[in-house]
Amino acid sequence: MAKKSLFIRFSLYILLIVVMLLFMGPIIWVLFLSLRPAVTNRTIPPTVIFKPTFEYFYYCFVNPGVSLNYLISSLILAFGSALLSLPFSILASYAISRFKFRGRKFITLFYLSLFFGPPVAYLIPYFLIISRIGLAETYQSMILIYQTFTIPFSILIMKSFFDEVPIEIEEAAMVDGTNRLGALIRVVIPISLPGIIVSFMFAFIFSWNNAVFPLVLSGYSTKPLPIGTFNFFATTGVAWNNIAATSVVTMLPPMLIFLALGKYVVRGLTFGAVKQ
Amino acid sequence: MSKLKHRFLPYLFILPSILILVPVIIYPLGFSLYNSFQHWNLQISPVSQGFVGFTNYINTFKDLTFTQSFINTFKLSVPVVIIEFVIGLGIALLFNENIKGGNIFRAMLIMPITIAPMITGFLFRYLYYKNGLISYLLLLIGVQIPKEGILGNPITAFWGIAFTDIWQWTPFFAIILFAGLQSISVEIIEAAQIDGASFFRLFWYITLPNLKFVILITVMIRFMQTFNLFDIIQAETMGGPGTATRTLSYNLYYEGLVNYNIGYSLAIAWIMIFTIMIIINIFVNFTLKKEEL
Repeated sequence: MAKKSLFIRFSLYILLIVVMLLFMGPIIWVLFLSLRPAVTNRTIPPTVIFKPTFEYFYYCFVNPGVSLNYLISSLILAFGSALLSLPFSILASYAISRFKFRGRKFITLFYLSLFFGPPVAYLIPYFLIISRIGLAETYQSMILIYQTFTIPFSILIMKSFFDEVPIEIEEAAMVDGTNRLGALIRVVIPISLPGIIVSFMFAFIFSWNNAVFPLVLSGYSTKPLPIGTFNFFATTGVAWNNIAATSVVTMLPPMLIFLALGKYVVRGLTFGAVKQ
Repeated sequence: MSKLKHRFLPYLFILPSILILVPVIIYPLGFSLYNSFQHWNLQISPVSQGFVGFTNYINTFKDLTFTQSFINTFKLSVPVVIIEFVIGLGIALLFNENIKGGNIFRAMLIMPITIAPMITGFLFRYLYYKNGLISYLLLLIGVQIPKEGILGNPITAFWGIAFTDIWQWTPFFAIILFAGLQSISVEIIEAAQIDGASFFRLFWYITLPNLKFVILITVMIRFMQTFNLFDIIQAETMGGPGTATRTLSYNLYYEGLVNYNIGYSLAIAWIMIFTIMIIINIFVNFTLKKEEL
């Protein structure tokens, strides 16, 4: 019996390691690509052992730093849209979590449907409208447009956090003479601060990773990282090492945030529907 | 939790979020609905060139590229989501065996989900190259690669895109279904085991019914995302070779922002929105009916 279970344990481990190799392999490969000398890019069989070089990171982010502008744009867009969504979604999710009112279900479905709508369907009107009103290629227009996914997402996930705050706590505060908004600001927000931070982090990642809107709406100086990467596909050849170096920098912040989020990852990925 | 009744306050709290979404949702939707009934080619005129009724909508059915992209969208999203779900559930069950170091494995498994899909597309484009890693490994196990490369052949390009999506989003199912598995109470499982239930009976009669809600939610989210898939296609094939990997999203983008057939592309947009509304309705009736929204 014991022998068999040891065998099963062993095979489970082997299976797990194979699975991990499959899913981590491409990520390790892009890291290799960003560090390897270009001559080893396309050898057969692929080169695994090489002397790592940082010249591509240096080229992309220091001198001449072609990708540095994209990095700054990405930061402005992601911080800007995650911050802007906060006040709007705190108020709305509080109302949905606390009150019973006509149209509550409809409004929740409205937010949900925004999240599932095809982004490309909005893209064409956005492109036409913002160039007409003279806001083409600006951060402001993109940050506003990003609210189409950051606000609905934040509302749905924050609602799940507000639901966990016992209603008695704020009622006690209101007995003490605070009004509803005061109770929200002084009692509910501090208690659910972790939830608000989780929501902010997800909104940041979704904006950071978005590439559909800026593909058409960003301009020469407002391109975020995923769009800027297209510039390395030149007619003279594809600068794969630079693409990899820029990709690694693009991948890093969301990865670190997901690690920091820990058990809240599940809740965020399901818009608050599944909790761990 | 008991809910409060209040006449105006909830609307007052919701109002700001609606007001900020009006210029970015309601107005563009109105704009696109209106112009989907107009003849408008941006290369010819900066404003629409007149009302044409349902012509744009009727033309989509005569357009082979459109019908192909419609079929492609389902041909891609249905099998991809099924494969992701099945493998993801398998991995979740593997994690559920309480393996030592499971936390580290799970943290590693989350990594593909965190990457911007556009970047994933670039990554796999490199792996699919003629002497890229995937092509090399396929040759090693004796699988013949088309002369024009994986992304150069209509059939393999399609599956190349599908495989990229499967790689990125199978962990999504694995992580969330694992959380669902963990929430099934140990007592139920132990009771069933004492009664002598086999692994498969346990899985069929205890595990799956308890996971039903989580499964429906995850399948809905993933189905909508693959249905709208755009980034990976833009990064890997740009809809090619020819029009082989154009989905509804990509065809819409191409008609509107490459060919500048604004009126026609907005008709496509509305057909897509209607299709999605029907699908969401089916899912919502399945999942959220009993849930208190």
